[in-house]
Amino acid sequence: MNSLNFNIDNGYLEGLVRGFKGGILKQTDYLNLIQCETLEDLKLHLQSTDYGNFLANEASPLQVSVIDDKLKEKLVIEFQHMRNQSVTPLATFLDYITYSYMIDNIVLLITGTLHQRAISELIPKCHPLGSFEQMEALHIASTPAELYNAVLVDTPLASYFIDCISEQDLDELNIEIIRNALYKAYLEDFYKFCQTLGDSTGAYMSDALAFEADRRAFIITINSFGTELPKDDRAKLYPRCGKLFPDGLAALARADDYEQVRAVAEYYSEYRVLFEESSNNPGEKTLEDKFFEYEVMLMKKAFLDQFHFGIFYAYVKLKEQESRNIIWIAECVAQRHRAKIDSYIPIF
Amino acid sequence: MGSLYRSEPVALCQLFLQSEASYSCLSELGELGMVQLKDLNVTVSAFQRKFVTEVRRCEEMERKLRFLEKEIREDDIVILDTGDNPEAPAPREMTDLELMFERLVKEVRDLNTSAEALKQNFLDLTQLKHILRKTHSFFDEVDRHYDSALIDLQAEGTESVNLLADDSLLVTPHTIRFEFVAGVVERQHLSAFERMLWRISMGNVLIKQVDIETPLEDPITGNSVLKSVFLIFFQGEQLKAKVKKVCAGFHATIYPCPETKAQRREMAMGVMTRIEDLNTVITQTEVHRFALLSSIAESIRIWSIKVRKIKTIYHAMNWFNIDITQKCLIGECWCPVAQLERIQRALQRGAAKSGCSESAAILNRMDTREQPPTYHSTNKFTSAFQGIVDSYGVASYREVNPALFTIISFPFLFSLMFGDAGHGFFMFLAGLLMVIFENRLIRMRITVDVWDIFFGGRYVILLMGLFSIYAGFMYNDFFSKPLNIFGSSWSTDLKNMTVDGRYASLSPINNTNGVPYFAGIDPVWQMSSNKITFLNSFKMKISIIFGVTQMFFGVILSFQNHRYFNERINIYCEFIPEMIFLFCIFGYLVILIFYKWLAYDASEASCAPSLLIGLINMFLMQYDTKEDGCPPLFKGQQAVQTCLLVLCILCVPWLLLVKPLVKHYERKRGLTYGAARSGYVLMRNGDIELQASHSTLSIQSGDVLLQDQQRDEVVHHVDGDDEECLSNASEETEVRMPCNANTILV
Repeated sequence: MNSLNFNIDNGYLEGLVRGFKGGILKQTDYLNLIQCETLEDLKLHLQSTDYGNFLANEASPLQVSVIDDKLKEKLVIEFQHMRNQSVTPLATFLDYITYSYMIDNIVLLITGTLHQRAISELIPKCHPLGSFEQMEALHIASTPAELYNAVLVDTPLASYFIDCISEQDLDELNIEIIRNALYKAYLEDFYKFCQTLGDSTGAYMSDALAFEADRRAFIITINSFGTELPKDDRAKLYPRCGKLFPDGLAALARADDYEQVRAVAEYYSEYRVLFEESSNNPGEKTLEDKFFEYEVMLMKKAFLDQFHFGIFYAYVKLKEQESRNIIWIAECVAQRHRAKIDSYIPIF
Repeated sequence: MGSLYRSEPVALCQLFLQSEASYSCLSELGELGMVQLKDLNVTVSAFQRKFVTEVRRCEEMERKLRFLEKEIREDDIVILDTGDNPEAPAPREMTDLELMFERLVKEVRDLNTSAEALKQNFLDLTQLKHILRKTHSFFDEVDRHYDSALIDLQAEGTESVNLLADDSLLVTPHTIRFEFVAGVVERQHLSAFERMLWRISMGNVLIKQVDIETPLEDPITGNSVLKSVFLIFFQGEQLKAKVKKVCAGFHATIYPCPETKAQRREMAMGVMTRIEDLNTVITQTEVHRFALLSSIAESIRIWSIKVRKIKTIYHAMNWFNIDITQKCLIGECWCPVAQLERIQRALQRGAAKSGCSESAAILNRMDTREQPPTYHSTNKFTSAFQGIVDSYGVASYREVNPALFTIISFPFLFSLMFGDAGHGFFMFLAGLLMVIFENRLIRMRITVDVWDIFFGGRYVILLMGLFSIYAGFMYNDFFSKPLNIFGSSWSTDLKNMTVDGRYASLSPINNTNGVPYFAGIDPVWQMSSNKITFLNSFKMKISIIFGVTQMFFGVILSFQNHRYFNERINIYCEFIPEMIFLFCIFGYLVILIFYKWLAYDASEASCAPSLLIGLINMFLMQYDTKEDGCPPLFKGQQAVQTCLLVLCILCVPWLLLVKPLVKHYERKRGLTYGAARSGYVLMRNGDIELQASHSTLSIQSGDVLLQDQQRDEVVHHVDGDDEECLSNASEETEVRMPCNANTILV
């Protein structure tokens, strides 16, 4: 796959996704959105953007959850359209994007079942991009081995799950471990797949996935403080396709507190800035937000180059960020809690 | 009515409307359709405007109407469209409409929910019917083999069946008990369903499945889905729980299924009667729903129009400024001067309707330096031609409107290309029919896009047909056959003919009677073997003549514009060089064409020079020394052509450079004034920034817009020179492009 014959199979979709990208909300749109007094105002303003009439058939009063569903629905329709039009390797690439949503859905369902929630109550909460046929029968499994043998073996995630079978039962900690182990295997596999595609897809996606891997490594480490997770188990969850691999991960594995994590990040220029500028004080950006900001910056870069698949990944990620922004603003508006309304992350 | 030659004079007016009268006044103005309102609140975001609640209420109503329309379409009821155009209802009627829509939507919703419940019930029963029917054959088979075993089981009253066809089991039928679950699952999930059952039981279940042939209707979406009946046999309570969970996971519906034949039959009978009962109820609900939706369908079109009108009126009111006392709306609008009377009257009507005095609505003409919008008053005949012109570009305010000339030139140029009287006649007929039955066709309201195009251009088609008849007559082409109306002037006098094989050559010297064919082309050409060569040469010359004439005409129209707008410099730096340029090449060419037609006759045809080669040689400055012994076209040809060429080349820098240079010097001279002005703008900008930092966000964003506008102005100012150059260059290309096209034609 190179720039010479990229357009034969993927030219239409690349054009399409670039068009979609043009519809991503701009800074001026956000300035208007945060002035909204009610959700109706929000709807009115979104109507004048690329979202058009996506809320037109919703009865008022509008709920934030309805907006969320509709946002997801719009993304899913766009994504499914692209998926249906695509051929391999792009089709495989797009499938890989959905796997991360599948992992989230599985974890959500297992956690829900653990807390004795009815499956019908949990299904609507799953992200529609990551739904699969066997999903609703997930609650029959009570051990990881059963989960694998009965449900996941037929899904594309089967190969990622093999490492987790040894876990004895499904409790909260183990589910977290399963999630991270799945993610780790998924990221590494996706990374490998992108490398086989080569060219600018490989180059761009290795950047994007390296960041994703490193972010997970940092967050796993930070979240593990104060839990009973042993250090060597923690080390096993780090995805090994990022810039932190291998020295940074080894150092992270030894870390005992936030300061030590920060010290690890010192060695990496791109992450050092994020740690330096973040703080937990109110009014300043948290580390999570800084990571999101960096991600947006990284994703925007994808559109500077042509003839590669990275823009599809980037578009989904940017759209996700946009949904988060809109939902954040909508929540702030709905709860009349305007103090932090402008801590969304602008994209363009 | 104004003339079509220039767009109508348009004036900027200020509208003062008393708040009570504003709605009905705007309604009247909307019906009149002669006013273009200006948005005076560009800087205010959509949801901060004054009448946003009303707009939103209208949107809510539209949503309800959309819902009703969707329901009507689902039932394939025809929506009545009488073509009535109701006026916007009074604002107080809005509440009535809202309440009515609310009630209707609720009614339809209620009907839907009850229909849904009924249908769900119906679906359940049908599925049960299928299960009983399908499993029947299966159990029958078992029964035949294991009658005795079943009798035993019945005696015990347990829910189990023995089904393994293994002879050893016959001996001890009680040792292994199998439980079963019967149900229905969607066929597309069947394979995944089976696989998962197999996996959770480690292969210890037996699944039998039969497809239900008829698709079933999903009660919620209304789609038809294919389903299959399944029977799962397994052993043990634990497995049962798991199987049930899987069934739930795959949305399979499980039904109790009695194991004895008699019980099954009894149940089947019960199900059948219940299905029949349900059917009558469902039909009744559907009839009721149909009646309700039909009554809605009769007036939904009218309601939609009304709601849209209300919405538009409030939308327009959002463009008005509101004065401090809140008693008056102030707006600005463009309106054609000729229509001012009618607008005034409409305003008075509106004021009267709202019960206010006539002074409630005041229209005040204002002076402005802004460029007004272009407005051409068209009628049904001219509007199609105006549309053709507008699709290329809309003339600026008060510029000459080419549509006027297009009325004749467009069909004429079309006919030159079409050129067949017979086909043209049909086209004329089609156009004529559409024009004659115009009113009836409008009333029929055909909503096909292609028809809209044809019907919209009916007068164009009519004229195109008419001109085609004429052109076909001149080309002597009637369904691609010639007509010998006036008698051909060629004769086949065998004495003077050379016959070469199958062809006889007619010489224009010997075989004509010397009188040209009365009008058009001699029919004899249609059957000659060199017809193409002759006609091509003729038609191309004709095309050049008409093409060049049209270009001259266009340039003359631009002269009209320059004179009208008093732009001396454009006359000297655009019109004159353009004319000279055009004349020196193409004007000269046209003269040569006529000259050649007149100067050469058949006897000296061998010496007639090729004009194409002549034109090329003119540019190459090549003049043959007489090889063929023919004289040049005329005496002094070389001197004249060289002179024309030099003139032509001189025009290029004249066109390109003179105007920008003149403008540049003018600007330099007026620099002091310009500097002062831009300084003023800069100061204002500073001012606004200061203001913005003090005021709220909304004002800030508004002012940013304002600033941008001003910056644009400044940029415009600075870039003036380049732009001038560019516009001149584009002007140049504009002239050159058709010239090139013509050269290709030659």
